Amino acid sequence: MTSLFSLAWIYFRIGLIFVGGGYVLIPLLNHIMVEKYQWLSQRQFLDGLALSQLTPGPLAMLATFTGFRAAGFLGGLVATVFIFVPCVVLMLVVGRNYARMKNIDLIKNTLDGLLPAVVGLVAAAAWNLGASSLSGAKEFITLAVGFALFKWTKVNPMLVILGAGMVGLLLN
Amino acid sequence: MKEIFLTFAKIGLTGFGGGMAIVALVERICVREKQWIDSEEFLHGLAFGQILGPFSLNVCTFTGHHLRGIRGGVTAAVGFILPSFLLVSLLSWLYFTYNKLPQLQAALKGTNPVVIGLIVVVAIDMGRKQIKGYNGMLMALVAFAATVFFKLNAAWVLLAAAVWSLCMCIYRRRHC
Repeated sequence: MTSLFSLAWIYFRIGLIFVGGGYVLIPLLNHIMVEKYQWLSQRQFLDGLALSQLTPGPLAMLATFTGFRAAGFLGGLVATVFIFVPCVVLMLVVGRNYARMKNIDLIKNTLDGLLPAVVGLVAAAAWNLGASSLSGAKEFITLAVGFALFKWTKVNPMLVILGAGMVGLLLN
Repeated sequence: MKEIFLTFAKIGLTGFGGGMAIVALVERICVREKQWIDSEEFLHGLAFGQILGPFSLNVCTFTGHHLRGIRGGVTAAVGFILPSFLLVSLLSWLYFTYNKLPQLQAALKGTNPVVIGLIVVVAIDMGRKQIKGYNGMLMALVAFAATVFFKLNAAWVLLAAAVWSLCMCIYRRRHC
């Protein structure tokens, strides 16, 4: 079992570079959980992503899942708390001083400017996950159907994932 | 305080659809129904909320802080996250206890490709919105190549992109 302190430190650092919306967490957490510490296999990581999409919370709930894997319920708790500490603290500071902080153009523009790199990272995550977990025509067809549903319809992602689970159950 | 907690717990429990859907829900409840915060201030909170972390959580923290200071902000944030946290913990427990079950394995085999499909859609939609001009395209390609072909850590790629972006901003500010 990993000590809760090192867990807190790991998630705190992720929380500090948690920019551009939740999806950047996919490549970040994937690297740490699967490649570095090997707490999860690539398959389990994907399963965790599916589970965290079944809840109303942000995608960051993936932290709960991976923390749970690393050190049980307390691990999940520590991971969740610490990944959110930086952004909650920042919002509290902003809330307190925001009349004086209207002049944050530079920060805002810098963050907007790095978003293309986030796009590249998210695409790379899809690539890496696909390369290591997809095999056979059946899975590629499922991917294509899922892609089409998310891209061109407004169906709730949660329903799509539940539906995919049913299909998987019937096919395999 | 109790009302803050319960309101945000309700939002956290019913706000399916993530991201913008939740922001819209918070806006409806806190700005229009309860009139806790006026719409201009809410928009400021939303703008700041995009700096770090998920903005659904950030607008909750901001609204809570607006009502009752630091304790209000923390209460709102905890209220919002708690339902999802409990749900994910329960699902994680079930998953790691029963993941040898063939039925579960089969069901998850169906969800795996769909999750990848979802990530691809996110990448495309974000790309459409965020990538403008050659600089953006180059950044996205370099970030992609660095992680896929050179196996660089995404955190370093992100930091490098931030430095690059900051330099571009300072350069533009001086020359325009």
